[in-house]
Amino acid sequence: MEKIINEPIAGTFGWLHVGGTKVTLPDEIKEQEIALAKGETKTVFLEDDGSLLSIKAKLPENAKLHLILLRRSEAAKSCFTDVRVRLEDGAEFTWHRFILGGKETYDNVSVELAGKGSRFAADLGYDLKDEEKADVNCEAIHLGKKSESRIRSFGVLAKKAGKLLRGTIDFRRGCAGSIGNETEDVLLLDDTVHNQSVPMILCTEEDVVGNHGATIGRPEERLLYYMASRGIDETQALELLSRAKLEAVLHQIPEEDIQQTIREAKGWT
Amino acid sequence: MSAEKTYVEDVDRSFYDFRFEDRDNYRVSSGLTEEIIRQISKEKHDPDWMLEFRLQSLKVFEQMPMTTWGPSIKGLDLQNIVTYVRPNTERMHAKWEEVPENIKETFERLGIPQSERESLAGVGAQYDSELVYHNVRKEVADLGVVYTDIESALRGEYADMIRERFMKLVPPTDHKFAALHGAVWSGGSFVYVPPGVTVEIPLQSYFRLNAPGAGQFEHTLIIVDKGANLHFIEGCSAPKYNVANLHAGCVELYVGENATLRYSTIENWSKNMYNLNTKRARVEKGGKVEWVSGSFGSHVSYLYPMSILKGEGARCEFTGVTFAGAGQNLDTGCKIVHDAPKTTSYVNTRSISKSGGISTFRSAVVVTAKAENSKSSVSCESLMLDDESRSDTIPVMDVRTNQADIGHEAKIGRISDEAIFYLMSRGLSEEDARALIVSGFAENVSKELPLEYAVEMNNLIRIEMKGAIG
Repeated sequence: MEKIINEPIAGTFGWLHVGGTKVTLPDEIKEQEIALAKGETKTVFLEDDGSLLSIKAKLPENAKLHLILLRRSEAAKSCFTDVRVRLEDGAEFTWHRFILGGKETYDNVSVELAGKGSRFAADLGYDLKDEEKADVNCEAIHLGKKSESRIRSFGVLAKKAGKLLRGTIDFRRGCAGSIGNETEDVLLLDDTVHNQSVPMILCTEEDVVGNHGATIGRPEERLLYYMASRGIDETQALELLSRAKLEAVLHQIPEEDIQQTIREAKGWT
Repeated sequence: MSAEKTYVEDVDRSFYDFRFEDRDNYRVSSGLTEEIIRQISKEKHDPDWMLEFRLQSLKVFEQMPMTTWGPSIKGLDLQNIVTYVRPNTERMHAKWEEVPENIKETFERLGIPQSERESLAGVGAQYDSELVYHNVRKEVADLGVVYTDIESALRGEYADMIRERFMKLVPPTDHKFAALHGAVWSGGSFVYVPPGVTVEIPLQSYFRLNAPGAGQFEHTLIIVDKGANLHFIEGCSAPKYNVANLHAGCVELYVGENATLRYSTIENWSKNMYNLNTKRARVEKGGKVEWVSGSFGSHVSYLYPMSILKGEGARCEFTGVTFAGAGQNLDTGCKIVHDAPKTTSYVNTRSISKSGGISTFRSAVVVTAKAENSKSSVSCESLMLDDESRSDTIPVMDVRTNQADIGHEAKIGRISDEAIFYLMSRGLSEEDARALIVSGFAENVSKELPLEYAVEMNNLIRIEMKGAIG
């Protein structure tokens, strides 16, 4: 089925082709509804396998859901995930996404922070090479008062890899006292990579604070120089810097066994 | 901290909101047809190629869809817009005394001749569809600087230079309103600064749209040759009517090797205006374009000056402020294409929204594979002054080389309680503290404008702070 996916809340210049992406979706759709009781905490760890994975969750008061998704580098099929979560008062949703490679990865994460004091944290880590592509749309929609969102992305692009990240913090009227922060750090290793970043802040509420910061580029020369002065050659230095990007996300996961699984998937001991 | 809010006045537009009885000399029918295009072309004594160009543009316009991503322009019905209005004067004047009385009074009230006497190297004044006055100081003309209306230049010694460049940076196929401009353009300026010449004081063009329900489609073409230096200022205003007016001008800037061009705009169209303007610069090796942009007027604006950095070491700086009040939807920003090695860009913008106004900062920074060792830094800040308004930040970064350093930061928020507390601890009243912060927020643009001539900006940046109200 042909469909436009990952359309951001607001569009922009057509010639940049960062609106929705036209794709052919797989026939098989795996749907999962995650139900939590008030105050319940749950961690879900999933590996995508080439189907369309649709996850929906409504988190009641003070419930906490931690969703960890892994995309392995050897995955041959295109992968599609669509995550939609609604948070009530005090609920928390944490999304950790690791894209270690794979042909094409399409992720949509849309979170409604409907409840007072609800929180959403998104951490994306990716390491793409050759002709691997990642196309991600992440939306934090602030509806409730004093809600907080944080979208972070750390990644490495090498050879002909491409990444498109649309990150949107949307402060809707009535979400007074809310805070949204988005940061992006992209390391580019070759002059054939293609990075597209679309960090949006939309705002119809006065009493909010929204920030975005991005750094995109090559490894810092002084850092490479420092490493060279410590006997680390450029290849090793780049490996270390690349690993550091993913480790920055990995360290956010409390479950050590999941951390270990992801490290092993990357071939790290 | 008190929950009271400071009331920030809209920009005071009464200074600009005066009009004279409609006494134009000639106007075409409203709407857009091939017949109308032929009439405009005949009125303007176009060379044959220009008539062909207009007709081709009309075809493009008819085939092209409207953009879908920006503010709504549903209130703009092109069938009701008169695309050409010749004011009540037969020709352009080089002496101020010869300009017809009502037109002269308009520009006198806007302070244009006074600015010319005091601080400008040359002035062009457009009233509706035609330039009515154009003058350049003798000492500037003696340097070989050409500053004239574009129609005269089309038929004079610079005809080939213009034909070679006219709508080449902004082709009619760029978007629907570029095509419209190509079909019905009228008026505007041509500037040529020869190699190595520095024009010490600015040139200015002022655009006034007086006729209700009309469009203004002026074309500005500036060529700053190798090693030359120019500051060009553009001002726009109109009285307010209860019918839609349209401005779809086009600005094409060619900045030669090691040349510098500063292009400043103070836009204060009335709040019935649809401002769908297109501006673009091409910068060669070692050249620099500096945009200073203040957007205060219009009902709807689509305005994103674009800089194409084509030569090694070319640079771009964009400094902008947008103030959207009641009934305004101002979609502004910039586009930068790094297409050569060692190019740099720096963007610094401020947006203020109040009384239901919508302000959007929209940008594109594109770094092609050719732009090794390029750098870009974008900083945009938005201030919301109440909870009826809207402020959006929509940047895009598209990077196709690893040999580049790209930075972006955006902030949105209200006046910080901590900053007010600090200023109050230094003896300021809360009201004065808030006033100081709001004034300082827009300073990035005001400090870039030449103080000695800023007749218009002085009236626009007068953001009045009144007593705290609930």
